[in-house]
Amino acid sequence: MGRRLHHWLPLLVPTLVFVVLLGSWEWAVAQGWLRRLLFPPPTKLFASAVELARDGVPLGKTLLDHLLITIARIFGGFAAAVALAIPLGLVIGASPFLDRMMAPIVGFCRSVATLSLLPLALVWFGIGEASKIFLIGYGCFWVMLSNVIAAMRLVDPVLLRAARTMDTKPLRTFTHVVLPAALPRIAAGARIALGVGFMVIVGAEMIGTTMGLGALIMEARTFYRTDVTMVGMVTIGLLGLAISLSLSQLERRLMPWMPAHSGAGP
Amino acid sequence: MTGAVDRHAGTIGVVAFVLIWELAARLVWRDPGVLPAPTQALAEAWTVLTWDVLLGHVGISLFRILAGFSIAAVLGMALGLACGWFRGLSLALRPLVELLRPIPPLAWIPIAIVWFGLGEPSKIFVIALGAFFPIFTNAYRGITMVSPVLFRAARTMDVDGLRLLWRVAVPAAMPDMATGLRVGFGLSFGILVAAELIAAERGMGHLIMEARQLGHLGVSIFGILLIGVVSMLADHQLGAAIRRTVGRWARV
Repeated sequence: MGRRLHHWLPLLVPTLVFVVLLGSWEWAVAQGWLRRLLFPPPTKLFASAVELARDGVPLGKTLLDHLLITIARIFGGFAAAVALAIPLGLVIGASPFLDRMMAPIVGFCRSVATLSLLPLALVWFGIGEASKIFLIGYGCFWVMLSNVIAAMRLVDPVLLRAARTMDTKPLRTFTHVVLPAALPRIAAGARIALGVGFMVIVGAEMIGTTMGLGALIMEARTFYRTDVTMVGMVTIGLLGLAISLSLSQLERRLMPWMPAHSGAGP
Repeated sequence: MTGAVDRHAGTIGVVAFVLIWELAARLVWRDPGVLPAPTQALAEAWTVLTWDVLLGHVGISLFRILAGFSIAAVLGMALGLACGWFRGLSLALRPLVELLRPIPPLAWIPIAIVWFGLGEPSKIFVIALGAFFPIFTNAYRGITMVSPVLFRAARTMDVDGLRLLWRVAVPAAMPDMATGLRVGFGLSFGILVAAELIAAERGMGHLIMEARQLGHLGVSIFGILLIGVVSMLADHQLGAAIRRTVGRWARV
């Protein structure tokens, strides 16, 4: 009996806490202790989620419309960043001199707050899709680049020496030794970069657009639909969760030869 | 000669970067309204901004960061350590934290405005929230990963209870907490800029947005670089402080 309880406790307690919390939230609103406009109760949120998914509030676009736009923007910027950062990072990482030459620039560009480039993006690309993709791309690019460079620098020199003793040609060393050894770190970098892109998009969508999840939660606020804002926030959270889970799945599938959870954070 | 070139590789890189930008702006684009050269941006900032205005923006931004980050640091470390030390608390609290974590901090901006209005509290709330998660997680992980050998050694010396927590577990968890603080601090800068772009009348984020609306793109660029420099300096200071304290007994 005691053993069984012990086994179920880690599942039981959180569920209980969660239920109690939602229940008391609902109750506090019903009693008038929490203002309905500021803290729409869970039942209201559920109704709003259904409304948002079916009819679309406040501007007639459904949740799915917003979701798809946001996903398209994230992957557009992310793909462009990865396509640029991988070849560039491989070249820089292959040469210690280039690496040291670029290090301050890469470091600085990484610490520039991505969203602070928004005014520039508006001047260069207008308020359309291109400026959003540019911002996501910028955020992803520097994280990706520094991870690709690090991946190249951190390839075990023993592997390189071993390849050299076997008279392997440079190109073959690169494709058969360096790349497989660097790949897990590059993949980890891609995962982190995608996370950064996900952070950036929410902010980028809050200015100058009515489409996308970031725009949805901002618009809903101006229409006094706090419930819709909250549903949107949960959707964003679920999207983030789905992205990071599917990416680590993909990593495990593509690179079964190494435990790949490493890499530097944003 | 090659030795000297090698030693100053970083400097060469930066100078080359600035030079290429300067030349590209002056010879290729030739329109300071689209891409101002670094010298043009500086000159524009020099004529448009006064020291009072600039320091005012930087000051309010730093205040927001420090306020939000301090709240996050205190709450994150206290709750993270408490969750790591008291199993029951961890059972109740961690699922909640894990539930809220996937929501990116910026997504809290609209709701923060609803709850706290457009003033300082909403910005401080969002910054604190964003910095809280890495600080909490790292503190929790730090204290749960403390080597049991340390605890056994302390117990043989009759160190127990809160003294064990305070004298053994917390110092051993410090390196992880330091990591959390640093990550959280970096995050809070990004959040600050976004919050100031979206809803603020002052601050560095507002400065760059306003400058663009007034057609001073050079000032915008100056502001972007300024935010980068300030965040780098602040991160450097935090890193140095961590090395001075935690660095005495652990490698950080």
